[in-house]
Amino acid sequence: MAMPKYKKICERNGKRYFFRFSLHQRLQHVVVFTTVITLSLTGFPLKYHDKAWAEPLINFMGGINVAPVLHHIAGSILLGLFVYHTIYWIYLFYTRRVLPLKREGRLTLGNVGREFLNQPMIPNKKDFHDLIDMFKYLLYFTNRPPRYERMSWKEKFDYYAPYWGIPVLGPAGFILWWRDEFTHFLPGIVLNALYIMHTDEALLAALFIFFVHWYNVHYAPEKFPLGTVFITGYLSEDDMIHEHYAEYVKVMTEQGLQDEIKSQHH
Amino acid sequence: MLGRLKQLIGKLYVIALMAYAIWFGYFIYPLIFAHGGHEEAAQHSISTDLKMPGALTAEEKALHKIRAEQKATETTDLGYVVLKEQYVKGHFHHIGMTVETDETNVCIKCHGAVPHNKAKTIRAFLNMHAFYIACETCHINTMAKPAQAPWTFRWYDKKTGQVVANPPALVSPDLEKYGNYGTKIAPGTQADNGTFRFINGEEERVFLERYLKTKDAMDSTEQARMKRVMHNKVSEKPLLCEDCHNMEKSYLPFAELGYPPRRIDRLENTAVVGMINKYRDFYLPRFFELHGEQSQTPARK
Amino acid sequence: MGKSYIKRHVVMLLSALLLCGTGTASAEDELDCLLCHKYRGLSRIDENGKFRLFYINEVIFKEGPHVRIKCADCHQDIKKIPHDPAKKVECTTECHLIEPSGQKNFSHKPVADLLAKSVHGKLDAEGKPKKDQQDYPGCKDCHEEPLYRPLSFFKGKSSGVSERGLARCQTCHRTGDFAESFYKHVTSRLRKMRDPKEIVGICAKCHGDKEFQQRHKLDDVVTSYKETYHYKALLFGSQETPDCTDCHVVKGEGVHFIESKKSPTAASNKKNIPTTCRTSECHEKAGEKLAGYQVHVTYDKDKYPLQHYMLVFFTWLTAGVLYFFLTLIFLELLRRLFPHYSFVKSPDDDRHSAG
Repeated sequence: MAMPKYKKICERNGKRYFFRFSLHQRLQHVVVFTTVITLSLTGFPLKYHDKAWAEPLINFMGGINVAPVLHHIAGSILLGLFVYHTIYWIYLFYTRRVLPLKREGRLTLGNVGREFLNQPMIPNKKDFHDLIDMFKYLLYFTNRPPRYERMSWKEKFDYYAPYWGIPVLGPAGFILWWRDEFTHFLPGIVLNALYIMHTDEALLAALFIFFVHWYNVHYAPEKFPLGTVFITGYLSEDDMIHEHYAEYVKVMTEQGLQDEIKSQHH
Repeated sequence: MLGRLKQLIGKLYVIALMAYAIWFGYFIYPLIFAHGGHEEAAQHSISTDLKMPGALTAEEKALHKIRAEQKATETTDLGYVVLKEQYVKGHFHHIGMTVETDETNVCIKCHGAVPHNKAKTIRAFLNMHAFYIACETCHINTMAKPAQAPWTFRWYDKKTGQVVANPPALVSPDLEKYGNYGTKIAPGTQADNGTFRFINGEEERVFLERYLKTKDAMDSTEQARMKRVMHNKVSEKPLLCEDCHNMEKSYLPFAELGYPPRRIDRLENTAVVGMINKYRDFYLPRFFELHGEQSQTPARK
Repeated sequence: MGKSYIKRHVVMLLSALLLCGTGTASAEDELDCLLCHKYRGLSRIDENGKFRLFYINEVIFKEGPHVRIKCADCHQDIKKIPHDPAKKVECTTECHLIEPSGQKNFSHKPVADLLAKSVHGKLDAEGKPKKDQQDYPGCKDCHEEPLYRPLSFFKGKSSGVSERGLARCQTCHRTGDFAESFYKHVTSRLRKMRDPKEIVGICAKCHGDKEFQQRHKLDDVVTSYKETYHYKALLFGSQETPDCTDCHVVKGEGVHFIESKKSPTAASNKKNIPTTCRTSECHEKAGEKLAGYQVHVTYDKDKYPLQHYMLVFFTWLTAGVLYFFLTLIFLELLRRLFPHYSFVKSPDDDRHSAG
């Protein structure tokens, strides 16, 4: 859902850069990563309280009286962002896809559903084929890496991980925080269940982000030490070819640069 | 050239990342599968420490239990090690002071750091002295009168065995550590050229270590012969309390060893000598005759 | 008879002589016990091979309530020095201290009585010894020398003695260290005498022992407690969350009165848990349903099925996702390391790999 005010390709010092994320999206990402890091640093010393690093870390985060407060604040912000993001998404979908349908008089449930499934972030058949192609490539059965579109299956996974994680973690954390109030109507054993949900899902999220996600965007040889797309919003031509070849070809063609399309290498 | 180097660095980085991925897999395993404090579950299983062949007698079992309890915090030999412990199980009063243990004295390698147990009334005192005085200081095989001992005395560092300066804790009441100086007094000889050598020095330590390594291969006669040689400088019959704690001439030169006049006065006059004199029980010569069984104090007859 | 009579007299005479001779004894230490017991190395190995340390750390000793009594008040069998091996101290004997609220000598006997009728008492309801006698605690199994933990309340609260507060006491109570001693006593009692972490450690001595748990058919309550926020906050220095005694002591009783959850008056009895949790300063405003929260979850399949299956689900979800991606990343790196190897070489592939 790129907004028209961003150029699809911008050139700087003779190099092409491809548009990926709007400022609005990048700011949301900043909120996500600052809160997640804060939540991790204040939460994991408690989960792994018997590890040697637990006590120094919690003291660094202000000690047992301050760290939980930071945790509550960061959690509230993240949960707020989740709600905001969902409303923002629904709003955009409504104004850009549903309203035009309405205007054209084609507003049926089937059409809305079809529009929904065509959204670039929604997993589709191509993702499944890409996954298989990738394994073929990685296991040396082919020399042709998969050609990803605007959003690869990896990025979709990265996106839906928090989209599943936050609803699991956030409300659980919120209820545990306000346990005295909630237990006027919720049975106590719900707290036990929420406790497991909260800490175990947090472990999954943190390990995933700090290894898999960071590998994809920072550790990978061509990115190291820091992928910059989360700051600039634009991806270099090399990275674009490497990660989104199908999208690259599409954008180049749209911009009338089909003669300058480079081949996919690895 | 530069391109090749760049490529090489790139490959090395990839290999490093692969190693990191493997490490990460190893690192997350316990985080995922050991839920919360479950790693601690293995604590306190004392009886599992009994890995001796055959059935154990009741005494052996009891002894092993004590050893196992102590092993929870230490590793080396019985008696010697326990002194390292700040907390002794079942000890009501707080200890609150860690101790420097003697790593170098040759005697305690076999006899332990808490060797005295025969004379019931004074064994703890003797062990207390053994804390800052090397065994051979008192258990010395000398024909000479103690007051004219041919040795000179120095403090040695319990960790290195080397001569060190007199402990400052002796002089300053603020630093007082009641025997826990990290150093011990031991006898030695001063050569004409001024070099000092402890009676039990580096040479003796090497001898002992070699013996301990090879002794299992020796028969009992051979072992006895070795032991005789090792013990030729020392005597089971020690010097007496009054050899130091007297008002005339002390065997140990307290002033030279850094004791301030205030402490020398206590050691040689009022407190300690007073106690020794007032209690016949305190006379050392008797304790070997008695083997700590019954007291023959005149007062009790 | 006659022999011991003479002996006692000689001992007393000699003690008197010694006291005259040394003149260094303090009021608390009439026999000048510290003359020897201040030495760190005063120790021996006893007949059972057990290490015995006879050292008294005077500095620490002075920080506790026992500084006001004499050594011989507890070690009553010691009348002279040097002395024979001392007998075990009986904590319930009366000491020479007059309890300030009455005119009686002080004793810890009421505490022992309370313990005796609790779940930790050595006798059952009919007065018969319970099975596994060695597992039931005596005083020293849980108690070391008590130490004061005074609190300063002068403008805000912190640990330690408030000098300004104390100065007010000393306006009237001038003699000796009476004021300071009482200040420490009272302010220490305004909070827990011991750090909550220490209390958990004391209970864990027995309740954390696997064999003990099996003998008494008990769950591993220590490990399960340590997974709660209650413990984790204590561990990192909070004094606010509950330790074992806070939830298990019968309401309105001293800490030595803990009952089995089967007893209708026990704090952990099902019908009393709402009251226990919602005590003032804890979950005061919580709903009654809070009591349904299970504190000692062992993840046992039969006892805690919900927690067990949730744990299994999340464990395998986490393991599945992470090891899948880990494998993927590893393969991708391998592909980068050896880019030109291939099982299949189609003309189409060659064209692309040439780049």
